[in-house]
Amino acid sequence: MPRSRQAARFPSEAPSETSSSTSPDRTVDDDTDFFTAQANDSQSSIGVANIREVNAYHDPYLALPPIGRLPPEILIAIFSKLSSPGDMLSCMRSITSSVGKMQSFFEYSSLIRRLNLSALTEDVSDGTVVPFAQCKRIERLTLTNCSKLTDKGVSDLVEGNRHLQALDVSDLRSLTDHTLYTVARNCHRLQGLNITGCVKATDDSLIVVSENCRQIKRLKLNGVGQVTDKAIMSFARNCPAILEIDLHDCKHVTNSSVTCLMATLPNLRELRLAHCSEITDSAFLELPRHLSMDSLRILDLTACENIRDEAVERIVQSAPRLRNLVLAKCRLITDRAVWAICKLGKNLHYVHLGHCSNITDSAVIQLVKSCNRIRYIDLACCNLLTDLSVQQLATLPKLRRVGLVKCQLISNQSIFALARSNVSHHPLGVSSLERVHLSYCVQLNTDGIHDLLNNCPRLTHLSLTGVQPFLREELTVFCREAPPEFTHQQREVFCVFSGEGVNRLRDYLNRITPAREMTEATMYDDDEELDEEEGQVTGLMHATAINDDGYIDIPHPPS
Amino acid sequence: MAATPTLILTSSDGVDITVDRDVAERSLLIKNMLEDLGETGEAIPIPNVNEAVLKKVIEWCTHHKSDPPSTGDDDDSRRKTTDIDEWDQKFMQVDQEMLFEIILAANYLDIKGLLDVGCKTVANMIKGKSPEEIRKTFNIQNDFTPEEEDQIRRENEWAEDR
Repeated sequence: MPRSRQAARFPSEAPSETSSSTSPDRTVDDDTDFFTAQANDSQSSIGVANIREVNAYHDPYLALPPIGRLPPEILIAIFSKLSSPGDMLSCMRSITSSVGKMQSFFEYSSLIRRLNLSALTEDVSDGTVVPFAQCKRIERLTLTNCSKLTDKGVSDLVEGNRHLQALDVSDLRSLTDHTLYTVARNCHRLQGLNITGCVKATDDSLIVVSENCRQIKRLKLNGVGQVTDKAIMSFARNCPAILEIDLHDCKHVTNSSVTCLMATLPNLRELRLAHCSEITDSAFLELPRHLSMDSLRILDLTACENIRDEAVERIVQSAPRLRNLVLAKCRLITDRAVWAICKLGKNLHYVHLGHCSNITDSAVIQLVKSCNRIRYIDLACCNLLTDLSVQQLATLPKLRRVGLVKCQLISNQSIFALARSNVSHHPLGVSSLERVHLSYCVQLNTDGIHDLLNNCPRLTHLSLTGVQPFLREELTVFCREAPPEFTHQQREVFCVFSGEGVNRLRDYLNRITPAREMTEATMYDDDEELDEEEGQVTGLMHATAINDDGYIDIPHPPS
Repeated sequence: MAATPTLILTSSDGVDITVDRDVAERSLLIKNMLEDLGETGEAIPIPNVNEAVLKKVIEWCTHHKSDPPSTGDDDDSRRKTTDIDEWDQKFMQVDQEMLFEIILAANYLDIKGLLDVGCKTVANMIKGKSPEEIRKTFNIQNDFTPEEEDQIRRENEWAEDR
């Protein structure tokens, strides 16, 4: 292994924390929020840090220049400070030797372990990757969005490589079974395969992959429309190490696949089945009675519209440690499903019930009481919900993101409650709310939002599309640009504040209507000049009141 | 007011240097060691760093002793920025030998801020230079023939002008 060779050439006693870890396992951080985890995952690579690394080292047996004493992790740290690929290239051409140089002291091509061309997108063609075809020890190959690559380029890279552990070719739409056959023939150590959007791939090659790459842990087949139960069940049978499987929009996948995956794979952590519209209750009802999927943490059933309460009950019973449960657009479910979800207790961190419009206040209130570690909850279009639900949500001590789009019964009372949310729980009295979605909550006005802004310093996203009191030019100047595909009508009502926009909106509102003193004093005075004027201590006292009485008594702002 | 507590560090070449404890604790290595072992009053050997380098490192730590503690290995430190404050720029005006020694010492002693400044300094020496200039700057021997060099350039045209 090259590690020992590196160590020999760089006799650095420094504690080495190189980023060249070869394990594709992502560290399992139980506290990582679903969204954060995704952001780090960069979609492009399969559970792999996205550092572009093309390293080779200078010949040590010549008289070393001083820079030659720096160990790889420091060189990487230096390269990471370079902003332009041009500088990187210059370094490659001066500090490292040519990848293809045969008579070099070392075989540099075999030192390349990670190749990530995803930042170059359509600038990469089959020709571009020719020089890398001789790098037969690449372990992670990330070609996300290099849409001009075809079977030729990718197969050349893969052919002869026995070391590949992670391959990401998402959105290389022209790839066919040919590439996958090459993978199956060569890469028996493959652990991560992401062929999201490779629409031409079929069961034929995937079955061969499942039979030959039996160490696969992460499999992403999102949007591979031709895939059917045949291939999925073959993976379930042949690849017992699977941890994650994504089948977003695989329309032909049916109940048999789902039952088989869940019943067969002991380590399954994440199962994503969004828009697999064939799936019904029996996928879950036919699971073996006493099956316990203790590893399952994430289940996404977005828009599996046939799912009903019975299925949700069975899911919770079989997978008691679910952390993220997405049931958005499972329109048939009712309060009964939510009661079942309550049994997940503190394990539940993330729950999406958008468009589950049968749900009522009493279920939401019970959910919050049972699962008080919820960080993210979405209840968009649950239009039976009232302020009672939101006031209960506000008691969640770790709530960071809340979605209430089109919950049209909620009023400023809800917003005042959120503004006070968990102020009393946190030692610094700072709300943990970061993202709040309130579009089309038509009863809201600036009073509530102003209060929310002043009490939630971590707020980075606030959506208020279609909320009339905010559709004024002096406020919309702080909005984000509407997405380009929006129609004129959509633009008229678009109103989303994010990042700096949130701060500017807060500043503006504070300028035109001075903030209520209480919030100012508790949130922003860090110079300890709090004198005991009654207005300023009200905030603290009020927070205590919530804590003690368990109910929320919202004072009306002075008008 | 009580005298500031001090420590003695012994450099690799056997020189004892007395230093304020809060200055020395800019080094996470030393800080953790003190937490683990408690203060014994004995000199702490720093076997990988010689006197000259250790003195430079202490100079930096002294200047930065009241900096807020680093916010961990957050994304910001990985940001591609090479801005360096003026004092640090002056501090880093040393010969390359010393520069790399300081970087290695910062790495060994686990002083994130100093390591960061060091890496930025080297990155700034690279920025905007041609491969030939980089080789000259760092005294790296060119083992390419002109033909090979041209080939690499052509293979990598995607990275030009970006």
